[in-house]
Amino acid sequence: MQDLTITPEQQKIQQKAREFTAKNIIPVDREWDERGEFHEFILAKNKEVGLNCMAVPVEYGGPGYDSVTQSLVAEEWGYGCVAFATTLCGNGLSSYPLAIAGTDDQKRLYYGRLVNGGMGGFALTEPGAGSDAGSCTTVAKLEGDEWVINGTKCFATTCGYSSIMVVFASTDPDKGVKGLSAFIVEKERDGVVVGAEEHKMGIRSSNTVELRLKNVRVPRTHLLGKEGDGMKIAMKTLDMARPIVASMSVGLARRALDEAIQFAKTYLDVNGKPIGRHQAVAFKLADMATQVEAARQLVRNALRLKDVGMPYTKEAAMAKTFCTDTAMRVTSEAVELMGQYGYSKDSIVEKLMRDAKVTQIYEGTNQVQRIVISGLLLNS
Amino acid sequence: MGYAFTEEQEIIQQTAREFTQECIEPMAAEIDRTALHPEEIIQSSAGQGFMGVFLPEEFDGVEAGFLCYALIIEEISKSSGAVASILNHHAAMAAYSINAWGSKEQKEQYLPAMCAGEVLGAFALSEPDAAPGVGEHKVVAAKDGDSYILNGRKCYVANGGVAGIYVVFALTDPDAGLKGMSAFLVDGDAPGLSVARTIKKMGLRGCQSAEIIFDNVKIPANNLLGAEGDGLAIVAKAQAVAGVAEGAMVVGIAQAAMDDAVKYGMQRIQFKQPIARFPAIQTMLAEMATNIHMLRLAVYHAAGLIDNDEPFAAEAAMIKLFAARIGQSALIDVVQIEGGYGYSEDMVVSRFFRDIKGVVIKNCSIDFPEIVIAKSLLD
Repeated sequence: MQDLTITPEQQKIQQKAREFTAKNIIPVDREWDERGEFHEFILAKNKEVGLNCMAVPVEYGGPGYDSVTQSLVAEEWGYGCVAFATTLCGNGLSSYPLAIAGTDDQKRLYYGRLVNGGMGGFALTEPGAGSDAGSCTTVAKLEGDEWVINGTKCFATTCGYSSIMVVFASTDPDKGVKGLSAFIVEKERDGVVVGAEEHKMGIRSSNTVELRLKNVRVPRTHLLGKEGDGMKIAMKTLDMARPIVASMSVGLARRALDEAIQFAKTYLDVNGKPIGRHQAVAFKLADMATQVEAARQLVRNALRLKDVGMPYTKEAAMAKTFCTDTAMRVTSEAVELMGQYGYSKDSIVEKLMRDAKVTQIYEGTNQVQRIVISGLLLNS
Repeated sequence: MGYAFTEEQEIIQQTAREFTQECIEPMAAEIDRTALHPEEIIQSSAGQGFMGVFLPEEFDGVEAGFLCYALIIEEISKSSGAVASILNHHAAMAAYSINAWGSKEQKEQYLPAMCAGEVLGAFALSEPDAAPGVGEHKVVAAKDGDSYILNGRKCYVANGGVAGIYVVFALTDPDAGLKGMSAFLVDGDAPGLSVARTIKKMGLRGCQSAEIIFDNVKIPANNLLGAEGDGLAIVAKAQAVAGVAEGAMVVGIAQAAMDDAVKYGMQRIQFKQPIARFPAIQTMLAEMATNIHMLRLAVYHAAGLIDNDEPFAAEAAMIKLFAARIGQSALIDVVQIEGGYGYSEDMVVSRFFRDIKGVVIKNCSIDFPEIVIAKSLLD
């Protein structure tokens, strides 16, 4: 179906992403999930069609897609495989701090790697600092012209494969959240050690690792913004990333819906009629489709606000919450509707359901989103 | 707990709890990982009398009633949904049907061996791509003198491949549709019965799910269970009984998951306090605790109806409906509380998340629980 509410240019890119997904992701999504392996080769293919580093501006060699376009692509990737979408969108996310606070030199360094096919990483979470990012124990100390970073990050997406990362560390531990700062760290710096990989229930082919930093020295110029800007940068980054995660989740839910529709059309009931002819099933499909559509429009609205420069923090958090909750609900309903077949690995929906769960957890749990939304409601 | 159990019921519950902790809990993660049938545990369960809890003493059962059975299933589910599922297909579906519909000879032939754990039961109903007796591969039993000849394919047969006795549903009168469906007792080693493949599942791994082929399987006429055409009634009854036991599984899994989330929530410090102190987390816990409690009461009530020989079809369907709604949502919330850690394969709640879905998926093949409930209201 063609979405005429987007520009012809956006439609073209959406179509390109849809074809890429159909050709390169859907045929192997099950295998990626079973093996739980990261898929570097597909990144090269993605670069060939020009869908890597979507967020990098034109003046730095990227395509500089607007937010709506990025979200259209994210939805298509999510339709194929959320693990893949997480990897690619995480790449974009890792570069948002540069858009927010990067100098020209910093952008040249960071974007340059992404444009050349390198992957970016974003290391914020720690074993003791999840939703509570202010409890960060990774520290950075200035020694001469260099920052020396020490600490351990966890659940770091793609960091096993990334060539460059944004790492959050405290430059003034006494100040808590206000002492948090953001740094560019190249993977090849001495002391950067990729630790154990997480074995996850879902998004199994997305690389999630522990990242240890032992006396990692980076130039003074690798600080993004000013000392103490870390939390602000992280929050703005997540504002930008949330509608993208939301879009991936819309794609995920749309896939589950399509699979359920297909099943309802072909699976026969005891009278030899397709089960979709039962109102109990048909109405369920109608509800699922309605939720997917509502979810998509919520993202679209948040991004339109963003693209015209209006505040969109609340709308981004709403979109993240609603879309990921929708993905969880719709995938779960698809499995239920498809019964034993849906629960088996003969179908893809059981994978979709396992993948969906993480979307409610990462990029700020949906509880954190509700803190953001209610905070804006109550304090305005 | 104030459920007014008899002494026997309390003893059996306690026994099941200890047995689960000692024999199943240490193996549960491994069973999930390998997805192999845990024969050793099944043998130990038989030693406890769990394979025939509600079956008559006359056939070597314990005759302790269905409520006792539900209590055992609840306890076992706290550690392994797979083991509970194996037991359930064996006892609540296969053995129950044989006991309810079988001739004295059939019961004597199969039930003692089933209670002893020598013969595992399976229930072969679903067919590939369609409800039983409908699709391209429909299983048909043709009368041939003193025998029936069985042909066709069954799908998603729990305990398939490891079972010694299959309750197989086949059309004896294909023109009559499901009204012409009958049930047969087919030995696992019957010539012509073969396992086409084992089906991989999201969860309940360890409880085998197989596609079974019947290729000119010759069955003596006296292995017909009930009369010709009784198939649908046998299925309806077995699914209702199993539905109550599945309610007990959901109670067990959700309870164990919630207990784990409470423990995690008290240990996990964010914003300088255990996250369990946050009202947002407490609300989730309160919601699931309430739901689990309600479901448990409904299960005990329906089990009591079964024990008193009262109608329970609508109550069983209500349990199915309610368990589906609250079971998955409880696990979605439990994993949410445990966050990135709970999502890890190494944590027990991610297994519970996958397992509980297998219990609550609807069985669209015969009737939706909503329809069963509505029928009870309208008729």
